[in-house]
Amino acid sequence: MSTIELQKLTKEFGELTAVNNVSLKVEENEVLCLLGPSGCGKTTTLRMVAGLEVATSGDILIGNNNVNNLDTRDRNLAMAFQFYALYPSLTVAENLANPLHAENLSDDEIKKKIFEVADILQLKDIVNRKPHQLAEGEKQRVAVGRAIIRDPQCFLFDEPLSRLDVQLREQMRGQIKEVLSDLKKATVIVTHDQLEALTMATKIAVMRDGFIEQISTPHDIFAKPNNTFVAGFIGTPQMNILDCNIIEINSSIIKINTLGQEVNVDFKNPLNVNTNESYFLGIRPRSFEIVDNNDSDNFSGTIDLIENMGSEILVHVKINESTFRSVLSRSHKLKIGDSINLKPKIGQVHLFNKDGKVIRDE
Amino acid sequence: MKKKAIGHAGWLWTGLASVVAFIYFFPVLFIILTAFRSRSDTLATPPKWFFTPTFENFYHIFFRAMANSTEYVSTGFHVYFFNSIYISGMSVLLALLIGTLAAYGFSRHPLRGNDTYLFIILTTRMLPPIIVIVPIFLIFRITGLAGTYTGIILMYTAFNLPFSIWMMKSFFDELNTEIEDASRMDGASERSVFFGVCIPQVKAGLAATSVFALILTWNEFLFSLLLTNKLTRTMPPAMARTIGGEINVDYGLLAAMICLFIIPIFLITYLLQNQLLRGVTFGTIKK
Repeated sequence: MSTIELQKLTKEFGELTAVNNVSLKVEENEVLCLLGPSGCGKTTTLRMVAGLEVATSGDILIGNNNVNNLDTRDRNLAMAFQFYALYPSLTVAENLANPLHAENLSDDEIKKKIFEVADILQLKDIVNRKPHQLAEGEKQRVAVGRAIIRDPQCFLFDEPLSRLDVQLREQMRGQIKEVLSDLKKATVIVTHDQLEALTMATKIAVMRDGFIEQISTPHDIFAKPNNTFVAGFIGTPQMNILDCNIIEINSSIIKINTLGQEVNVDFKNPLNVNTNESYFLGIRPRSFEIVDNNDSDNFSGTIDLIENMGSEILVHVKINESTFRSVLSRSHKLKIGDSINLKPKIGQVHLFNKDGKVIRDE
Repeated sequence: MKKKAIGHAGWLWTGLASVVAFIYFFPVLFIILTAFRSRSDTLATPPKWFFTPTFENFYHIFFRAMANSTEYVSTGFHVYFFNSIYISGMSVLLALLIGTLAAYGFSRHPLRGNDTYLFIILTTRMLPPIIVIVPIFLIFRITGLAGTYTGIILMYTAFNLPFSIWMMKSFFDELNTEIEDASRMDGASERSVFFGVCIPQVKAGLAATSVFALILTWNEFLFSLLLTNKLTRTMPPAMARTIGGEINVDYGLLAAMICLFIIPIFLITYLLQNQLLRGVTFGTIKK
């Protein structure tokens, strides 16, 4: 069975704890993205799964077998590396064939497999070239090809797309997703690019400072962040996180004081909060709608700055010397200095306590 | 591939460069010319630039006229020449073998206090050899290593090791460790990672390290003078011993010896020069 399970995995480098008590499970056919800023321990976690790094404590189970004491080559995994790790002196075909040498296949079988992989990844025209004669995108495909040519238990990808330019990245994201869904194996992808994670993963684990902050589906990570870190890390432009005070609770409608304004916010469901306490209010820039009149359920301020984002505009709204940001359709004819009224969309507003933890519906 | 011109230096700079190159080469040229001069031509003042070349100096390296007789006897110089090649070759190979393994260890499996160990290894090269010669001489006397091939080879190996370790470590440090990890994923053992993946990538480093170590060993004088005997003596002290005696310094003979002496090192450097150039410029032209 192709599963990967980590139990209380910890890795210390001297004083530094790179990975702290990480537990997670990747089921068969599931693609888990380890997502986080650089230095959060995601690559170290992946390397421990691969056996390239020895865990300080905790267990790694692959296909329900404890592999703590197995060497890399005995774990039956395949991995694609960030810098592709192609053997510089070998041709593409030889690079692809390399993982097969341990399997004692005949020459014909090896050729057949190379042909299959070259076909899937469109490498047929370049099988006789050497790595230095390849473009970045081609190198990347060879690296993926080398990972999928065998039939390992699980797949590991370390920042597979980070070295590609934006266009190529978009194209490869789709291709890799397609390849992965055909493989039906437990897969772990490490990335710092949230778009990559949101599009390719079936499950995302957001990491910070060695801890897992949240594991959920891409939808839930975006729509129901567990804390202010996840809320701020996922989604561009970043979520507005504002200090606020609760004045009055009226079922799901809560009157809060933020940026010196009192606003009635509809949370869709009642929340377990107390009046006269401080919280963080989280609203994504796209969760505002523009309204004509200044009412008790909207923010009103003046436009401080407008950034053009193509089909949309990013508006910096200033209220009492503080600003927050909102993404609006470019059809609104706005200019700097205009006053503007913005109403948060119902159910798209998040409330966090002062420790940064989300307050969920009751 | 077509060679790219880096820039076009004018005639002036080219001319200047040849002048500087000639100044550097002049002592060597003078030695070569002296080797082919007869004894009277050698001592002529001002130096004779045009003369009839003779091989008599080269003959006298190997055969010397006995006093009061016309008989020629062997000087045993072919033995010293062989000793130099054998001792330098063996010690460079040993230093390279041990040094490469140690460097790989230092680079890939750092110990607690790795840098301290590396520093300590280098400290042995921070003092002039003359300071340690007395204890080493005594150790060699007591252990019976004095005058043996084993002794002097071990001495030179120890002499070359710090340099080999440091140099090879920097080459291993430069490698992309992902390729090693990838071959581990592909089922390679640690041994095949080292021999199959790392060593082929540091060929230039091995060439550069061996040439530098060879030059150091080949020219070494002091240890050889004190730790070898008549049978294991290398070229540098053997050449020095021809100075003095009833004819004082026979410059022609000495020059001929030097000519022979530089041939092996010249050939090896020439054969390895492509690797050497890549080796010494490794860090700057990578990627």
